[in-house]
Amino acid sequence: MIEKQRILSLLKREPLLKLLEQGRRVDGRAPDQYRPLSIEKRVIKSAEGSALVRLGDTTVLAGAKPKKMPPFPDSPEEGALIVGAELRPLASPTFEPGPPDENSIELARVVDRGLRESKCIDFRELCIEAGKEVWVIYVDVHVLDHGGNLIDASMLASIAALLDMRGPEDPAWKKEFSLKFKPVSVTIAKLGNSLLVDPCLEEEEVMDARLTFCVREDGVISAIQKGGSGYFESGEILRAEELAFACAEKLRRML
Amino acid sequence: MIHVRNRDLVIPGQLLAEGNLRVGRGAYREGDRIFSSVVGLAEVEERGVSVIALEGCYEPKMGDDVVGVVSDSHLYGWTVDINSPYMGDLFAQELLGKVDVFKVELGAYLRVGDLIFAKIGEVSTLRKVKLLARGPGYGKLKGGRLVEITPVKTPRVIGKRGSMLSMIQTVTGCTLKVGQNGRVVIMSEEEEKVSAITEALRMIEREAHTSGLTDRVKAFLEERLKENGGKEASN
Amino acid sequence: MEEKKLLIDGRRLDGRAPNELRPVKLKVGVLKRADGSAYIEMGDNKILVAVYGPQELHPRHQQQPETAVLRCRYNMAPFSVVDRKRPGLDRRSVEISKVVREALEPVLFLNLYPRSVIDLYIEVLQADAGTRVAGVTACSLALADAGIPIRDLVAGVSVGKVDGTLILDLNAEEDQYGEADMPVTMTGRDKRITLLQMDGHLTREEFRRALQLAAEGCERLYELQKQALREKYASAPKEVTG
Repeated sequence: MIEKQRILSLLKREPLLKLLEQGRRVDGRAPDQYRPLSIEKRVIKSAEGSALVRLGDTTVLAGAKPKKMPPFPDSPEEGALIVGAELRPLASPTFEPGPPDENSIELARVVDRGLRESKCIDFRELCIEAGKEVWVIYVDVHVLDHGGNLIDASMLASIAALLDMRGPEDPAWKKEFSLKFKPVSVTIAKLGNSLLVDPCLEEEEVMDARLTFCVREDGVISAIQKGGSGYFESGEILRAEELAFACAEKLRRML
Repeated sequence: MIHVRNRDLVIPGQLLAEGNLRVGRGAYREGDRIFSSVVGLAEVEERGVSVIALEGCYEPKMGDDVVGVVSDSHLYGWTVDINSPYMGDLFAQELLGKVDVFKVELGAYLRVGDLIFAKIGEVSTLRKVKLLARGPGYGKLKGGRLVEITPVKTPRVIGKRGSMLSMIQTVTGCTLKVGQNGRVVIMSEEEEKVSAITEALRMIEREAHTSGLTDRVKAFLEERLKENGGKEASN
Repeated sequence: MEEKKLLIDGRRLDGRAPNELRPVKLKVGVLKRADGSAYIEMGDNKILVAVYGPQELHPRHQQQPETAVLRCRYNMAPFSVVDRKRPGLDRRSVEISKVVREALEPVLFLNLYPRSVIDLYIEVLQADAGTRVAGVTACSLALADAGIPIRDLVAGVSVGKVDGTLILDLNAEEDQYGEADMPVTMTGRDKRITLLQMDGHLTREEFRRALQLAAEGCERLYELQKQALREKYASAPKEVTG
């Protein structure tokens, strides 16, 4: 199955490059245009916060659940955030059941860094009793349909789930908990000499590499991740950074 | 425009030349510039540039002589390890001539672990390697000591027009079967000679990139054999 | 998170200027069994890299009919960090293995060896921040040592920020208490970026300057890489003694 996928991808690179020479993407979008995006919150009753994101053909569901736990030894007065991601086999013929592979691990860690480094959560607000008990928020990303650009969809779903989070029926939950920032990630694919935001699956399969920027509304970059077996010229990195900031605000408004 | 001299030591990514020259082994072209892709000695000719690698695995080439180690047998012949990412296939008829594989006991001719001297008949695009082992000098090697060297240095063991190899054989009185795949079999049971030749091979490996090597190896062998009271050097 | 002054009078705690690399030592061809190997010391980092291959890839179904497969395994020895690290794969090592592989794939000619595998092993023996980029720097040398054709050497360095100032080549303390950590690897000749990650806090302006700083660091490391490769072949032939 994976072999067939790969052969089909090779057949597709030339036509996509030809289209790009004429300034066109395979699905008719502009290079700086995202696919249709919908974010639906409050979709899972059993999760304190949840969101279903549809980005083109990609569907990602995220749930946020706080749990009371003892604090980590090096931060006795702070709660924590733990991000998991699963590439469910039903989402793609290329996802196999079993322990997390490098792609799902990378996805979870990139979303984690985007959330954590943006300081959107003040972990001190999650302290219940210093040294004894804190709130740990688990954000779990469940990829349901792989249509390309899982990072941005997962990041949106995670932030939306956190924004959606209503505390558990527990006196220890701080009603004033809220997100300080709304970080969004923008992923840019490099195909030949073109930089394209929000790669769809076809573009992702033939791209040279991708670059993801996680940015806050105040213009601060919280995380960056390059992926894929290709390289970027430094000029392309700077152009990608501009593209990221151009798109971030539009995405953020959807949250 | 050529940027290196013949036999310069070059490293990966180093600019060798610019322009419409031919790109040989160990080099690649980007735009109109030619770069080295390996650590090696630049080979500069009028028509083009290439690099003689100083390290690297053996890439099977049609016509090469190789020393193989039988690693498996099957109905139609044997699978042979040729010190390469790719295994060699030796079909029974390429060793025994016309033969009925259902009637003959292949194990009587070659067993797993046997050394053979073979020629590469064909390398397919999928890197399937067909071996030929008929004819004088080819086939199973009985006795002898196997020494492995870096495959890319085999040409140095043979030398220009075979000069190094014939010098070693003359000085020591031993036959050497040299495979392009970095394997040399010393056809001798005399321990002092085998050990002297082995050291000489290591010396060639270490100093492959220097000049005057043949003379130094000759001097070394003559000294060693004199010490060990071996065959008198032809002096 | 405690406040810690990491910059005093423009000098870092270990005495370095903001754009100064730690002392680097590079050695090529240090292991006997591996097809290629290299060793790097960068500050207190001690990292050993080995290459095996190209060789036949088993199991067969993992073979790519037209290219070699590059596999990378980054591993930290249990004693490499003050807080003993449990042996075995952890999520961080899996991610680092992936980004390191992707840092080197652009310079390999994988189509030269179809159906085969090239294995890269990075063993961190002693860690002091910047292990993945130091690993990539050493991997380039190990690949060259193995005679595996590559387009160019790749060198890497990390850039960070302490007390608002961008600094080059973080040590462990600066990584832990600083405001950003950005590992970068670049090809030697053209400074093409093959690895880029960041976590922390950088403004757009700082990011641009950080890339510049990284390029300077990579250039210096590239010179050291070239030197290390040539050193391997520099020794004059030994005198033959009787």
